[in-house]
Amino acid sequence: MKISYLYEIILFVLLILLQVLLLNRLSLFGIATPVLYLYFLLKLPMGRNLFYVIISGFLLGLIIDVFLNTPGMNAATTTIVAACRKPLLNLFFEKEEYDEFVPGIYTATGPFVRFTILTVLLHLTLLFFIESFTLFNLPATLLRIAGSSVISILLIFAFDSFIFKRKRGEQV
Amino acid sequence: MRNLFNFILRNSHWLVAILLIAFSFYLVFAHNSYQRSVYLTSANRVTGWFYTTTNDITSFFLLKKNNADLLERNAELEERFHTLRVFLDSLANTDSVVVEAFAPDSVGIQHFDFIPAGVVNMSFSGVNNFITLDKGATHGIKRDMGVISQQGVVGVVASVSPNFSVVIPIINPKFRLSARLRNSENNGSVSWDGNNIRRAQLQDLPKHEVFHEGDTVLTSFSRIFPKNTIIGFVSDTGKSVDDNFNTFDIQLATDFYTLQDVLVINDRFYDEQQTLEDTLRQ
Repeated sequence: MKISYLYEIILFVLLILLQVLLLNRLSLFGIATPVLYLYFLLKLPMGRNLFYVIISGFLLGLIIDVFLNTPGMNAATTTIVAACRKPLLNLFFEKEEYDEFVPGIYTATGPFVRFTILTVLLHLTLLFFIESFTLFNLPATLLRIAGSSVISILLIFAFDSFIFKRKRGEQV
Repeated sequence: MRNLFNFILRNSHWLVAILLIAFSFYLVFAHNSYQRSVYLTSANRVTGWFYTTTNDITSFFLLKKNNADLLERNAELEERFHTLRVFLDSLANTDSVVVEAFAPDSVGIQHFDFIPAGVVNMSFSGVNNFITLDKGATHGIKRDMGVISQQGVVGVVASVSPNFSVVIPIINPKFRLSARLRNSENNGSVSWDGNNIRRAQLQDLPKHEVFHEGDTVLTSFSRIFPKNTIIGFVSDTGKSVDDNFNTFDIQLATDFYTLQDVLVINDRFYDEQQTLEDTLRQ
């Protein structure tokens, strides 16, 4: 239990650093910016206290915002995503699965892939619409959402398989 | 009652979520200048609509007086036109009209002269926009000459045939021009992002630069345009792409939708400057 929390805090910090120092400086073809910090919300145990999920989601977004000088934008979207996490999980996973179960690409490939795709799409759609705020330039915004979603989803899968390959001996 | 408490207790995480989301949106509107300006314009649209409507109604009652004023003004201009016409005829007529507006000082020789030309074809729907003019090499137009309208910068001559020339306008992504704000010395560059032909983007202006909506954007060091030709006006306070420089929209002074007549700038010292700078490069 304690180990799990420690692991989550390390992941939290690591993801923020990766996002702020590296990923946000990338802009592929001017349209796609990978978003990895959402991985934190994807990897919380399924039965985790909802207050914990929502508040940590909010803090995650807020810290990203503080670094990127976009007050409120990421915080709003991560909070919404965190609040919607439970319903989304219920869509793809069996309810009987135990509370400490951590979804992952090795442990539950199909549901995890679908869950990730939907969550990332929700997150980036909200984020880019809050960012551009009006639908004035709809095609460009949609293009950015699509581009960033694809690259983010691929990155999340790669990251997940990378981390769990190393931890496989202990965890799986 | 117990059911109600149970309901609230069961869904209290939603309450927390809504509070946090509301707080986030408060942050968005309180701190982000871009979002705030959108918010404020929407609000202003209501008041703007209100003013326009009331103005429409009151102006109807003033039509008679306005008409009289216009007739008077028309007569005055007619008279002035006649006087000027006589004066113009008395001068030696040259082919190219000399515009004195840009005369830097009283050094005798004009640095620039202006060749008037008409727009015969223009594309502005796509990204690779161009303008075709009805004057060409026979009228003295050469490559890389600047083109301006009555309002401001239009573009640069890209290719010339004997009787026509093609201009790459500001509203083409290939176009870049160094620019500065009226009240400062720092140079940025103007380019177009392909979205809206009324707006271009001013980039690479240092962050400490103070500017306001409506500030005039002028050309700075340019081989093509006279210094301080108007490009446009700052139309939003912008957001930065990276840490040290600002990028923001400017409203172009030239209205490409209604562009009819342009002036092609002939820099008489272009060759001289070119040769001098080339000697240094070798």
